[in-house]
Amino acid sequence: MSSLDSAPSAPKPTASVKLVLLGEAAVGKSSLVLRFVSNDFQENKEPTIGAAFLTQKCTLPNRTIKFEIWDTAGQERFASLAPMYYRNAQTALVVYDMTKPTSLIKARHWVNELHAQASPKIVIALVGNKLDLCNEGGENDEEEDRRKISTEEGRKFAEEEGLLFFETSAKTGANVRDVFLAIASKIPEEVVNKRGGVAGAKGRTGAGEGRVDLESRSGENNAGGCAC
Amino acid sequence: MSSKKFNGHQEMVQLVGRNTAAATFLKSTVRQQQSAQGYRPVLSDDPKPYGAGYSHADILRASSKSKTESTFAPRFDRHISYTDLDDDWDASFDNDVMALGINPNSRSVSPPNTLPRTQSPMAAPDGAGSRSHSPRLELYPTSRRNGGSTAGLKPHYDRIVKDPANSLHMIYHPTVSSVDSASAAEIELLNARISRINKFKRVLQSSNVDISALRNLAWSGIPDELRPMSWQVLLGYLPSNADRRVSTLARKRREYADGVKQAFGNGVDHAVWHQINIDVPRTNPHLKLYSFEATQRSLERILYVWAIRHPASGYVQGINDLVTPFFQVFLSAYIDADVESFDPGLIPKEVLDVVEADSFWCLTKLLDGIQDNYIFAQPGIQRQVAALKDLTQRIDSHLARHLQAENVEFIQFSFRWMNCLLMREVSVKNTIRMWDTYMAEGSTGFSEFHLYVCAAFLVKWSSQIQTMDFQEIMMFLQSLPTQSWTEKDVELLLSEAYMWQSLFKNATAHLRPSGT
Repeated sequence: MSSLDSAPSAPKPTASVKLVLLGEAAVGKSSLVLRFVSNDFQENKEPTIGAAFLTQKCTLPNRTIKFEIWDTAGQERFASLAPMYYRNAQTALVVYDMTKPTSLIKARHWVNELHAQASPKIVIALVGNKLDLCNEGGENDEEEDRRKISTEEGRKFAEEEGLLFFETSAKTGANVRDVFLAIASKIPEEVVNKRGGVAGAKGRTGAGEGRVDLESRSGENNAGGCAC
Repeated sequence: MSSKKFNGHQEMVQLVGRNTAAATFLKSTVRQQQSAQGYRPVLSDDPKPYGAGYSHADILRASSKSKTESTFAPRFDRHISYTDLDDDWDASFDNDVMALGINPNSRSVSPPNTLPRTQSPMAAPDGAGSRSHSPRLELYPTSRRNGGSTAGLKPHYDRIVKDPANSLHMIYHPTVSSVDSASAAEIELLNARISRINKFKRVLQSSNVDISALRNLAWSGIPDELRPMSWQVLLGYLPSNADRRVSTLARKRREYADGVKQAFGNGVDHAVWHQINIDVPRTNPHLKLYSFEATQRSLERILYVWAIRHPASGYVQGINDLVTPFFQVFLSAYIDADVESFDPGLIPKEVLDVVEADSFWCLTKLLDGIQDNYIFAQPGIQRQVAALKDLTQRIDSHLARHLQAENVEFIQFSFRWMNCLLMREVSVKNTIRMWDTYMAEGSTGFSEFHLYVCAAFLVKWSSQIQTMDFQEIMMFLQSLPTQSWTEKDVELLLSEAYMWQSLFKNATAHLRPSGT
């Protein structure tokens, strides 16, 4: 993380980064966000309808990233809404449930769709959730290992597609922050210098305050005073 | 005709009075199937008890562990083709001839004690025997867990099961002595309540309920005691003709029981079942009622049967919310306790079966009016969101302009308002009050009138929203301070919606493309 003085003024630059979560229903998308934003966990969280919006800052040595998070609904019927949320996203978390094989198939589908439809520079992280249900090597005899998707399988897929890869537990909090930190580190410097996020689904173009605009599609500013 | 009904009536009371396992009219059906298909009676000494909380998930688990897994495992092909019988299921369809040729009033039905106690129509295995290997299956519950206590049950609940109109004679009015110390204002309130109850009773006790009179009364809210019956009449589930009530209800409940058997009889559609299975435990998680096994199993069956019978939409998240007001209101008809913390596993199974069947049919009625909301691409919701935007421009142009300037898309916040009928925004209790009015509005209550309610709901926060930027607006609209709303707040919202409706309904100008 070299800052390389691309930001001339002293205070750490803050960038708003639009992040979208995609994945099959009930893999734990909302729970990952809740853990990241509020360091909390709720058993039996109500299913997300449409999408939920949240924000959270992530401080890196040289800059601060403010995530504007669109947590989408997982059920197939709502899938037609997804493009509205990933269209201008700089990063995406594609989440699956390590105890549920079909959820990895769905994750592959989302990765393909993002490659085809989203910004070509989008940073994608593949996240296997519910690590707490995986009791590797029978460490705890009481509980069975419910893992159905091996770490290798997930990692292999991530490598093939050029994705970041993590296994997390929203319940225990394991690795959750790491996912967001890794994504934040991966956000190109140019984006950081561009004040204003891409929170709106269809922002006005050309309103960005950034000096470098590598992504002509994301030059929007509707977040208003996001560098707080 | 009337003497035949009377016979049926007598038998009903007799059977229910014995507190037997399943609802009587359901039982005859099971029995028929059983003899027709050679279904083996169950062993009554199986140790594993199942209350009303028996789960079809258990069937799945039990089956998948069994040796005959292959006969069960993924069978996505449905052997029974479900035709949408909803038209026939309308309360106005007065035909006592059963699909199975069973007359519910027939005196030839054997006394209940000759039936295995452990059978339930809700979980009776299909006669084809595809799952009869599962011992757990055959053990579907007897009436209740604790050997038949009636704690929490209203006296004469069995009469309400048979005909909701019987509840009209059982409304408790505080006696004068208990209000001796009450203030004049309290007495006035009480008198107002009694007079209101009496108005409803006059309408509902008539041999042919005057629907428009009932609508007029219901618009301003239905007293709790009268809501179960009023809702069923307003939705067209319960016939307005008193003579047809008992037989129609019996038939519908039996049809539902058959529907459950069919839906689960040949293996389940795993994708649909899975989705329902993961959503039911996270339905109204803040209310104790929804944490009980009995509740969850009932909701699962209702949602699954509905989904299977409506393949164009199938189960869509949010429908799980919509079933809960019915379940809660209909359950409340039979109990003397706070319904939101009550364990329905404590009531006799035949009563819970009736609550479940009635909830299913009324949910079906509601969804009939808003099916476009849940089919592919959800065009109904898209249309309503667009209409809300247009309406907002007309009602509050400053707000509309501000939202546009901040790039807030209406679909970002109002999709959920339409998909869940504002149930994520207001409490279940307040939703129930809102639905009194929606049902009073007639068949378009849950679609058209709801739109005006959403408009009134949005402009309520206009001044706050106009001080906010995109992020603040989104966060604010996602967690509005409405969980603490009282009935008064809801009634104000409804009257505001009424005002907007009278101003803008049928005014075509607001249907022009936006930006005009």
